[in-house]
Amino acid sequence: MGTSMPEQGDLEGVGSAHSDTPAPQPRWRVAAPLHAILVHFSIALTSASFGFDLAGRLLDRSSLASAGWWSLAAASLLSAGTVASGISSRLRLPIEEGPARSTLRAHMALGPLFFGLLLAACSWRAVLWEHGARVPWGYLIAMGGVLLVVAVQGYLGGELVYRYGAAVQGRFRALPIEHPGAPPARVSPAPTKPA
Amino acid sequence: MSALLGLSGYQWLLLLAALQAVLLSADSFIGHYRSGFALRAQYAPFLLGTLLLLSALAAAIAPAASGVARVAVGAGLLAFAAGLIGAGYHHWYGITTKPGGYRWLLHHLLHHAPPLAPLVLATAGGLEALAALGVSGTPLVLGAPIRTLVLGVVSLTLFGMSLSAGLLHYRGAYNNPLMYLPVVLLPLAAAAAGWNALAPASGASRTAATALLWLTFLSGFLGAGMHLRGMDRQMGGLAMGVAAILDAPPPAAPLLVAAVGASGLIAVRLL
Repeated sequence: MGTSMPEQGDLEGVGSAHSDTPAPQPRWRVAAPLHAILVHFSIALTSASFGFDLAGRLLDRSSLASAGWWSLAAASLLSAGTVASGISSRLRLPIEEGPARSTLRAHMALGPLFFGLLLAACSWRAVLWEHGARVPWGYLIAMGGVLLVVAVQGYLGGELVYRYGAAVQGRFRALPIEHPGAPPARVSPAPTKPA
Repeated sequence: MSALLGLSGYQWLLLLAALQAVLLSADSFIGHYRSGFALRAQYAPFLLGTLLLLSALAAAIAPAASGVARVAVGAGLLAFAAGLIGAGYHHWYGITTKPGGYRWLLHHLLHHAPPLAPLVLATAGGLEALAALGVSGTPLVLGAPIRTLVLGVVSLTLFGMSLSAGLLHYRGAYNNPLMYLPVVLLPLAAAAAGWNALAPASGASRTAATALLWLTFLSGFLGAGMHLRGMDRQMGGLAMGVAAILDAPPPAAPLLVAAVGASGLIAVRLL
């Protein structure tokens, strides 16, 4: 009563990253892909913090160690937004079961763990910074482990976007190099589905 | 007592109590929405969660302001009492009045109101009340140091959380080996926290509690990722929105484990 099942036509294209029919848009949404933006800060600041601390340890420069602390503090703050925007992106991604979704699930499982490791490392680094202590090798080894998790997480995210086209709109003006002489297409045609 | 980043241990505990209030409100909303808010009392966690959140934040930001700590103590005690009453409600409506009653105990434990869930509200309230008393300069509560009581609350809560996870992961058929983690780790962390509460001068108890509480903290984030993955294993996955979330593992529960582990760490290292 009062409900209706969706027709077959309503469901066409759902779950495909390259649908001809644009998905219905909510009334208000942030146009920029926030997750894709924030994730670069998480990766870059965490890596930079490790680099600064390692260089500070090797060269015995306190200014580098300070840069290591502040980079990690910024990474921790921004990564909360990275995780939240990742979940928000997932809610808007009707992706079908298959290798892409398996990759996505691994990416989702690893994200919070990375955030937890980052918070733990940041707490350790905060204690060192407050006491003005030299960064111990144990901390640098632990940060190496965090970077390994970041690398795997970044790889999975890269696979999702560049292999499976997750959250990629696919609307770009193609160069006419495939068919010389032909007028440029308005937008790229949707790829044909494999038989 | 020492401080970290300019905040005392009690202020960190208040911030963690505020975080717990947000997390438990989210989880109880999902659970109570699933049952249709059949009782008005099912709104209590949000009212008390909001009260806990605001009072804990105020006491953490302005601990010296007149009356702020007293309001936080009051809110904490109210939430503590409400958590205990909520556990009684869950027992009454989830088991006693259900068809079959205690004769179908396992069925009711698995499929109706989670019996220990409201006690998280009692934990958040208890920790907030103790931290607010500490921030206002009270050295002893009921004749015991606040550090001992905080670790006692953390120890009991972790033990209860391991029981709850054991039950709910049993419902999930332990389909992933990581589902054994809270059942194994949390009792060990609870024991270590309890040991350190009773023997604070012992270096071994401090080391054991620190190590196991850090593992508890990290296991919470691992669990959050696995619960997200569990949501996505529902038909259609997270893109189905509320439908996927209602039938999936509780999203905030592992983060509550992390928050309680962090509270224990604060008590061990900063109080």
